[in-house]
Order: sequence, then structure tokens, then C-alpha cells
Amino acid sequence: MKEFINKYNLITKIIVFVGLPILLWSLGDFPRRTLLKDSISMLTILAFSIMIGQFFLTRGYRNIHNELKMSNLVKAHKFIGYIFIPILFIHPFLIVLPRYFESGVEPLEAFWTIVTSFNSTGVILGLTAWTLMLMIGITSLLRNKLSMNYKTWRILHGVLSISFLAIATWHVIELGRHSDLAMSIFYVIISAGGIMLLFNTYFLNNSQNRVVSK
Amino acid sequence: MSISNISGCIGCETCIKTCPTDVIRLDPNTKKAVIKYPEDCQICHLCRMYCPVDAITISPEKSIPVIVSWG
Repeated sequence: MKEFINKYNLITKIIVFVGLPILLWSLGDFPRRTLLKDSISMLTILAFSIMIGQFFLTRGYRNIHNELKMSNLVKAHKFIGYIFIPILFIHPFLIVLPRYFESGVEPLEAFWTIVTSFNSTGVILGLTAWTLMLMIGITSLLRNKLSMNYKTWRILHGVLSISFLAIATWHVIELGRHSDLAMSIFYVIISAGGIMLLFNTYFLNNSQNRVVSK
Repeated sequence: MSISNISGCIGCETCIKTCPTDVIRLDPNTKKAVIKYPEDCQICHLCRMYCPVDAITISPEKSIPVIVSWG
């Protein structure tokens, strides 16, 4: 039974967080570009979708599926985080990478124009999400060196993650090249699901436990 | 009649400044670039080349074929 649930969970997650974005991308009416540019876009789309999938690899999801082992969930959560956070982290630089192979604006100049376009809501949201992601990364890597116990760190991680996801999803909908209606709805649904799951784990469950303990 | 799509615009206005025929304008509501006068596009590709986020697509099928004297 446990093996079946684990296998079923894994397949469902791959379909939702990898298969659906690829399907929506392939069905969307987006201008096709060079292989390098489309590969960078696809990598970023998948990294973001899988990062949202991280919300479903947490304690809250285990509360729904009690059969799952927490240690396995944590291993998968860490493994995915260490791979896909760096991709999202460098994606502003990846955007300007094709500029090395084209005429026109220089990559550094393009990057500077992007990060200084403060009149754009999408850019401000992106910079905020990027900073939050940096904080998530640093506080995760240096967790043992921070002077806080595990439960406090977990709440900090949750609050940072919820803030990051809400702002990043808004950024993606606002600026994403492939954020048409279908893709936007997809991101809103999975982001809202992830945020609600985490919110329920950290805040509603805690308050219920407190009521029970009283 | 070549510029076909602007997607993922950050509103930096570089394309507006580089376009020699003022095809692109800034939408005051969305603060993003829009193709206002597509019929004036001269297919110079300057907007595409100078867009920092590569948001501009120029359709090859709309390009004016090169006319040579014997063609």
C-alpha cells in the first residue's frame, strides 16, 4: 500500500508540475524562437513549476498522506530545492545570455536595463521575489549556524516561502513571456494550493493544537 | 508590416527610443510597449536587437521580399 501511494504520488506530481507546463507551453500560441532561447524559457518554466511543487513536499502534505515517510519527503524537498533554486536564481542572467550571440544590445547593458526598469511592476516584483529567494537559500544552507531552534526556523522558512511564491507568481503572470490565460490560471491554482497547504500546516494546525492542549 | 508581437515587455522604453518610424508606443495604462502603427514598420530589427528581454518578435513571413532588378 505504501509503495503504491508513493508511486501514485510521484506520478501525479510529475504530471502536474512537469507535464502540464510542457503541455500548456506546446499548446500556447507563442512565437517560436531559437533553440537556445526556447530552452532557457522552458528551463525557467519547469524550475518555477517544480519550485511550486516543493510546497507539496512538506509536512502539510504528509498530514494528508500519513503513509509517507517524513525523512523521504525532506530528502526530496532538499534535493529539488538545491537544483531548482539556483536555476531560478540565475534566470535573470540567462535571459540576457543569448545577447552574446546576437548583434544589438550588450548582455551587461541589457541586464542593467532590466534591473533598473523601476517603472515596471513586474520588475519590482521580480527583484523582491529574487531577494526573498536569496533569503530562503541562505537561511536553508546556514540553518545550523543560525541561532534559532528548528521550529522557529521552520516557521521562518514557511513565511519566506509563502511570501516568495505569492510575489513570484504575480511576477510571472505580469512579465512571463509564456503567461497566457491558460498558463496564468495553472500557476494561480497550484500556487494557491501550495500556499493554502502551508498556511494550514503552520497556522491553522498550530492554533488547533493549542486549543486542544488547553 | 513586420513587427508582430511584444510579449514579456518590462516597459523600459528602449524599443520606443530606437524605432526610427515610431511604430511602438507606451501604453499609459499597462506601462508596456504596444505596436501602435504596424504598417509603418520598416523591418529594421532595431527594436528587436535592443530589447533587453528579447520581447519583440518580427515575423519572417511578413517581411518584404528583396526585389532585384532581374527578379
